[in-house]
Amino acid sequence: MSTTTTEAGVVAAVAPVSRRVRAYFAPVNRSTGVPTLFDAAQQGRFDLHAPPAPWIDLGWISGFARNSATKVDALRSGAPAMTVGQARTEVEATVSLEFETWGRLQGTLASGSQQTNLLATESGATLNGSGGVAAAPIPLLFATTTTATTLNVGAAATAFSVGSLVAVDVDYTGQLGYVGAGVSAAYVQSASAINSDVNYVRRVTLNVGVVTAIANGILTLSRPLISGVPTATMQVSQLVGFCDREGASFFQEWSALFVMQGVQGDRVLIHYPRLQAMQASSEKKEELSFPLEKIRPAGVFRALPVKDANDSENVLCFRSYLPAALRDV
Amino acid sequence: MQNAKDTFYTTLQSRLAVLNPARTIVVRGVTRTATLVEENELPSAVVPLNAFCLQWTGLRVNREEPMPMATLECSIQYATDGTTGNGGMDRGRLLAGMDAELASALGAEPQTVEKMNYSPAGTGVAATAMGTNIFWADPVFNAATTVGERLQRTATVQVLAYQEAGEL
Repeated sequence: MSTTTTEAGVVAAVAPVSRRVRAYFAPVNRSTGVPTLFDAAQQGRFDLHAPPAPWIDLGWISGFARNSATKVDALRSGAPAMTVGQARTEVEATVSLEFETWGRLQGTLASGSQQTNLLATESGATLNGSGGVAAAPIPLLFATTTTATTLNVGAAATAFSVGSLVAVDVDYTGQLGYVGAGVSAAYVQSASAINSDVNYVRRVTLNVGVVTAIANGILTLSRPLISGVPTATMQVSQLVGFCDREGASFFQEWSALFVMQGVQGDRVLIHYPRLQAMQASSEKKEELSFPLEKIRPAGVFRALPVKDANDSENVLCFRSYLPAALRDV
Repeated sequence: MQNAKDTFYTTLQSRLAVLNPARTIVVRGVTRTATLVEENELPSAVVPLNAFCLQWTGLRVNREEPMPMATLECSIQYATDGTTGNGGMDRGRLLAGMDAELASALGAEPQTVEKMNYSPAGTGVAATAMGTNIFWADPVFNAATTVGERLQRTATVQVLAYQEAGEL
């Protein structure tokens, strides 16, 4: 077989030109402290609209800014003292951004802490800031189709309508520590702190969806649940929205990937394996045309370290650059 | 720069044709997609109606990069009298339709496309791909103006391209 190829010329390398930044989310296993790693060498050229599993598209973002607070001090010697070397004495990095949408994930990440689902309440429930006592959950039927996008609730389907929001997760039965299917959504310190609420996990879970069709007792969701196919112990609660609180104790943590697609086919990828929220919920307003304002959820995050398997360095962030084809390097 | 202009025109023309294949115009007896470049046609005082007419106006060249970057301003004019069957009272709707087509064509991903060299192209000779892409900013739609019964608008878009070695 011939291995002859036609010689091709290269063109000069230029600085990337990008329109905007796209963000992607992947969960951190909070119990083990293991993040989701993105390998730019293997996955870097993915379709921006279809990220590799388990990465989830958060959409375009605005105001993306990386801030390094890493300190490099001079090492001095002699008299008079002269700098003979340098040392990193502190490594610190933060990221700030604004999401373009108020989805469940975006809202959670920008909330600074745990964001709760406003579960539909039982009749006569006492008023409460993050929602009163929730209505009884609806069990899933596994005898027939229940998948990540279809929930079989049988005759209880009459309680739902197209457009209903649902949370799907296990009952609270005394678990301590991180809870939430797919993504650690909150930390339970004691059963008494949450009143042993059977709906607590569904109250905080990110395993939520929108019902787009109902037929034969099956609820069809607009997209797959974040944890995939529900387990046999999960139930369904309806919700009306989401709520976060200033002063809540939980620190949300996620693996983050930011992509700047260059117009020449080059790509800048910025990967923070561990980002923790470092400010309470806030919004950025953009005046569209007085008095109309667009309100974006804004977040600021502090990067936490991971060890690079190649050289055991503790690092906060990986920035990768993939040149366009036939560019000088 | 001519390659960038040609590439942008053919890209916009093909996108608009997909969005509304029925929008055609007769030019010198030939029915074609209703997108044309004014400087490529015979000089005429007649404003083509229900068509997108491109004019290349501003130009800036930045030579600070390894390859000079050209920023070309393209003005896209379009006008309509409405339809005679409706006494011209649908001219607002028709202009809104053209607004939407142009916004969709220029806003569709990708907003970058491989630069082509059409100079050697002709019957049986294809255009050749060059080494860089052209790209463009979001269009700016200027206020619609009324001239008699005619409703017209101009949109401007900045088209950017690198000047490759040996390219004119």
